Amino acid sequence: MAAKLNEFYKQAAQEFGLAGRIKLAMLTKISSEKAEAADDSPENIRIFEQALQQLRSGG
Amino acid sequence: MLKKVLPWADVRAHGDSAQEARLYMKISTKLIVFFCGVVALFVALALALLTQTRTVSAGYDALLAQQVRQAEAARVIQVDFKKQVQEWKDILLRGHTPDDLTKYTRQFHDEESQVRSGAAALATAVQDAEARELLDQFLAAHKTMSEKYQAAYDAYVAGGFDFKVADKMVRGQDRAPTNLFDQVVERLNSQVVASVAAQERAVRAARNLALGVTGGLLAGLGLVGLLTVRTILQRLGRLKAVSDRLAKADIEGLSVDISGPDEIGQFGESMKGVHAAIEELSRLAAAAGQA
Repeated sequence: MAAKLNEFYKQAAQEFGLAGRIKLAMLTKISSEKAEAADDSPENIRIFEQALQQLRSGG
Repeated sequence: MLKKVLPWADVRAHGDSAQEARLYMKISTKLIVFFCGVVALFVALALALLTQTRTVSAGYDALLAQQVRQAEAARVIQVDFKKQVQEWKDILLRGHTPDDLTKYTRQFHDEESQVRSGAAALATAVQDAEARELLDQFLAAHKTMSEKYQAAYDAYVAGGFDFKVADKMVRGQDRAPTNLFDQVVERLNSQVVASVAAQERAVRAARNLALGVTGGLLAGLGLVGLLTVRTILQRLGRLKAVSDRLAKADIEGLSVDISGPDEIGQFGESMKGVHAAIEELSRLAAAAGQA
């Protein structure tokens, strides 16, 4: 289970709504469904952090 | 390290082992490298052909400058020698007239001098030992013949221009030098023929080598180009298949496994994002439908 990755999706939804979730999926190339099955590996966390940062900077 | 050596290269590790690093090139780089390879190949071929032409030309120049010229000089000496003998006969036939005696005697000695100096010069110039030996023998025979001709001439003038006595003294004396010089001419001519044949063989060998190398290089280059184009087309085909399914939102079981640092790999990475976004959108739509 990837609790931390799911947290990123929740964070994106809170801050940017549904469009934020879709953009997060696009930037990370990992949908929320796949994120649930993925590991909370340092590499995945880094990817999601960078993607969220990009969303926040309007990218 | 590799990227420092080859700035256009992108080195990536596959799996867990960095030792499995592979070299990738962008399609644009591949095309530039291929184009440069073709240009370099044709420049190299042009230079090789130019060098070959110069070598052939130099070979024929050397042939003309030495062997052909020497064979031609030998033929001139041969003719001069025949003229010398002819002048002797003119002396015997017409020497009873003082003017003719003076004229033909002078012409005889002129031809004799030309034959001797020409044969001596040729003996110095020729590189073939057998031809040189024949020329030395000719010079010796010619000298002996000249001495006998001189004795016969003296007897002819002293004996009231009796050509029969003089002719008897030198009868057949020109045969030995004539035969020797005929051998010289034949020897030099055969050398010219052999050299031309050797030159033609060398030209044929160089031409065959050039054709073989050119054909091999062109075939190799064509094969590399064909494999490159085939690989690009295969990857483009897979990309198109993914793109077609994404366009229809047919993402069930879809896997975008197109990667790499080239333009197609980059496009594949973008497709993965689109794929994930459509998955997310589908999930959200399904969730909205259930609610």
